[in-house]
Amino acid sequence: MSKQHLQQTLFLPNDERLITMIPVSKMPRKTNLKKRSNLLCSVLNTMESPVKVYIYHVKKSDRGDGHKKKMAWLLRDLRTVDGKNAEKPTAEFDLLFERVYKWMASSVEDKETFISSLWRLSHRFLIQKPEFLNIPERLLEDIKDPHMLREKSQSVDDISIEGDDYQALSAKEESDLELLMSECQVAISNAEVFTEQLSKQLSVLDGANIHSIMGSEDQVLNLMRLLDDGIREAEQIESKLDSYDNILASVKEQMEVMRDKDTLLTVRNRNHQRLLEELENLQKKLDLDLKYMQALMDGDLTTSQGIKECTEAAQALYQCMNADIHPSLCKLGAVEEQQKYFKKLLASFSKRLIHHLNNLFIHHGNEMGETLSRYAGDIRMPQHSNIHKDLVIYADLMLWLKKVDESVFHELSSVYMGSIKKLYTREISDFMESAKQKLVTAKDPKGKLGASTLPRLTGSSTSLTKIEARGRSGSSHSVDSTGLKYGSEMDIAMRKLERVCIAEQDFCFKFFHLIDKNQPSEENPHREPGPHGESATEAEQEVWVAKQTYSTADSEYITENLGEGLMQKRATVTNRMRQINNQVREMMAKLFPQLEDDLDTFLTHADRQDGMYSMYMLVRMSQHVINNQDMGSYLGKTFGNCLIKVKRNFDKYIDTMMQAVRETKVSKKTRCGIISFVHNFEDFTNLAEAIFRGSDRHADLDKAYTKLVGVVFEQIVRVANEHQKTPKEVVLMATLSHLKNTCLENDRKEARQRYTENLKAYTVNLLGRPLEKLHIFFEGVEARISAGVKPEEVGYQLAFSKQELRKVIKEYPGKEVKKNLEHLNKKVEKQLCEEENLIQVVWHEMQDLFINQYKYYDDLMCRCYPDSNITLDFTIDDVLQYFSDIAQAH
Amino acid sequence: MSKAKAQQPAVIHKVIMVGSGGVGKSALTLQFMYDEFIEDYEPTKADSYRKKVVLDGEEVQIDILDTAGQEDYAAIRDNYFRSGEGFLCVFSIKEQESFQATQDFREQILRVKNDENIPFLLVGNMADLAEQRQVSEDEALKRAQEWKVNYVETSAKTRANVDKVFYDLMREIRSRKMEASRQSNGKQKKKRDTKKMKCVVL
Repeated sequence: MSKQHLQQTLFLPNDERLITMIPVSKMPRKTNLKKRSNLLCSVLNTMESPVKVYIYHVKKSDRGDGHKKKMAWLLRDLRTVDGKNAEKPTAEFDLLFERVYKWMASSVEDKETFISSLWRLSHRFLIQKPEFLNIPERLLEDIKDPHMLREKSQSVDDISIEGDDYQALSAKEESDLELLMSECQVAISNAEVFTEQLSKQLSVLDGANIHSIMGSEDQVLNLMRLLDDGIREAEQIESKLDSYDNILASVKEQMEVMRDKDTLLTVRNRNHQRLLEELENLQKKLDLDLKYMQALMDGDLTTSQGIKECTEAAQALYQCMNADIHPSLCKLGAVEEQQKYFKKLLASFSKRLIHHLNNLFIHHGNEMGETLSRYAGDIRMPQHSNIHKDLVIYADLMLWLKKVDESVFHELSSVYMGSIKKLYTREISDFMESAKQKLVTAKDPKGKLGASTLPRLTGSSTSLTKIEARGRSGSSHSVDSTGLKYGSEMDIAMRKLERVCIAEQDFCFKFFHLIDKNQPSEENPHREPGPHGESATEAEQEVWVAKQTYSTADSEYITENLGEGLMQKRATVTNRMRQINNQVREMMAKLFPQLEDDLDTFLTHADRQDGMYSMYMLVRMSQHVINNQDMGSYLGKTFGNCLIKVKRNFDKYIDTMMQAVRETKVSKKTRCGIISFVHNFEDFTNLAEAIFRGSDRHADLDKAYTKLVGVVFEQIVRVANEHQKTPKEVVLMATLSHLKNTCLENDRKEARQRYTENLKAYTVNLLGRPLEKLHIFFEGVEARISAGVKPEEVGYQLAFSKQELRKVIKEYPGKEVKKNLEHLNKKVEKQLCEEENLIQVVWHEMQDLFINQYKYYDDLMCRCYPDSNITLDFTIDDVLQYFSDIAQAH
Repeated sequence: MSKAKAQQPAVIHKVIMVGSGGVGKSALTLQFMYDEFIEDYEPTKADSYRKKVVLDGEEVQIDILDTAGQEDYAAIRDNYFRSGEGFLCVFSIKEQESFQATQDFREQILRVKNDENIPFLLVGNMADLAEQRQVSEDEALKRAQEWKVNYVETSAKTRANVDKVFYDLMREIRSRKMEASRQSNGKQKKKRDTKKMKCVVL
């Protein structure tokens, strides 16, 4: 790497000049590093005005031959140069800039060259020189003489360090110079000529220079002139702009004035409009159509068209009167006058209306149109749909009246109640009377039938015997059918009553507006189909339709008031209904003063007829109560009271039945089959199940069952004990077996268990000991064994010797045993009644028992008399044969 | 007792359940009687049940004698076979042995009743446990054909075909009785049946 090359590539572009260059390596690091790759250069930068000396650390670039400057320091920053050892030549040295850099030169000479060049440079360019330590004296001394330096530098280095003005020739200058020299080939030979030539040329150039300076003066003048023109132009523009500005300033003021005026104008316009609107509004509010006025004055209150007109008019009037007018506006003379006029109109109309309605109510109350013709087979409750229909068209007027004059409204309603009450009282008592009659007739045909079959039915006092009689006389169907028929009759009656009541109640809701006007009165028709179901009759449909039409005519008004109230669910409605209960209930109580008493007498009557009816009543009534309870109606309450009575009747009926069971006597002569009250109980359960099926009063029935079953079980035992002819066990067994089949699920288990017990007791008892002596003998044997005698030794005791055994066995030859068994079979057959087919079961049990006995004896003999060869006279096969024979004999 | 008798429906059909132990005779009976399925097994000795049913519009009474499957001596059965008017011969489809046993039952019944055409139904119970089946339907059908009887598979647990077997049997019994009464109306020979025949006439 030549010095020139480095100068050319690295430093020349920056106008720097390389002074010294030594290959070095960094000290503390790997000394084996390629020594040539690192160079330390001192460089003179001639470009900057105080000449600066740099020390560069140049490194060979990774790629190619190029080098790059890795670090640069200013010589000025160099504080200490440490040569390490002054005596001993070494290649190491330190340079202290901001910190110490340790270097190793490639040779001692290089180091010395570098240090001396640093010394020289610092002496030459720096005021404050770095400190040179441990450096051989000769290096510093021989350069100390500045004169020596030049010599030295010329001899040793080929760098000539010139004075301050020295400028290195650039390449172009050089070539120019060369060209110049080549042109004047004479120069070298003749310096004088050359100088002359040069000075000539100089003067020529001088002249040209002056010439060009003279030439440029014109141009400068021109330029000046141009500039002056520009300035003038600018001034002109500025003055123009100023004038514009002045104009604009006045415009702005004008604009502001205009804007103010505009806002004032709009405010005035708006106020005008508002005033107009207000006035129009007021007029609209207070303006009553002439048509309405006419209707109010002398509208026809008897035709529906007239009523409709009147209603509209009245509502319009009401709206006018209660129009939302600002209080201050009321002071306007015209308004006052109009209101006065309205009041007059109102007074006259309401008077007319009240009069009309009053007449109407009394008329309807007195009308009693239909004479209550009683058909024997038909319970009728007159429908008052036509009255309702007549009146319901006034409903809106009533609402209007209520709003306008509360007290008059109340008066009117009490007049209504008074007149309609009479009607209902009479009707209901008639209705109840006919229902009672119906009850009697419902019973009659069956009673006759029963009487013809069994004379002792008529005039029966306890319900139990009645059921019994009926049950026995026909099939149990007749009980069901008459009972059910009665039940449905009563149901129909109740439903009719209910329908009338509800119709009336709904009407009252509607007509007297007991619902707050904020509440969805339209809900009424919706609920109606619920309780009635499909049973709604035509008459009701009419009311329904009437209401529908009325409500549609009314709907606009309602929706206006109600808003989203219409959308509310039923549950909330019923809650609301409850709130206004009291009012309705009061009214209904006044309208139907006799209903509860009448119902009461009806129930008592029915109960007197037959306690069994109380079951139907209980079921039906509870259903009705449930249907009505969410209505919160008067009817619901009344029915509730009735239900309590019915429940009492039912309890009484159950008590009577229990009493009857307790008092049952059985005939002593006949073979006892199944005790009669067990059959009765069965019938009762069948009937009750039929009645109560699906009813939620079943819990009551279950309670009654529990009581009854308890008594029945108790009484079975009593009767069985009393019965003389038939063994107790047989009675129990038969009865319980029957109960097991027919009884209710819960009690079946108990019945079954008792039955099993009795079956066992009976078989053991009856079988007794067909081989009695044998049995006694073996019992003795058993006793010995259990007393501790060894089985083999029993035979040696006197009482149980083989001889004794043989004697006993001889008494039971096969024939005898067979005869005994046959006898037993006959006895069983005789004692058991056929009703339950228990013979097979009992006989099976007997067979089993007998065989077990046989086996037991056999076993004992094997154990106690092992080698005696004694056996019973008959084998087990014989026994089985006997059984087969007995079976075949049947 | 006339009162008591009058109360009962005129016709009683006596059905007897036969079959090996544990095949579900009692389960079928209880399911038919009370609509309940009893999971626990408890061997029956003998039980009689009675129930009013409507058979093709006619109210009749069914008397079911539920017998013991486990019997040490077959002869003990003679007596109640004697009293039966129709038989439900039950086996379990998951137990080959119980199927084989039906052969013995059939023979005994025929011997006791001395009647080839006695109302009889072969019943394969536990049809709900088909995955444990040991007795194929073909096998059972084949036997039923041999005997000229019907074969029905039931499940006392799911109540499948339970009513069917009882009602089918009752119908068979009824038609048999009608046939018998027609014959005996002509010539009253058999003394034993006269009592029952009266009932039918009533």
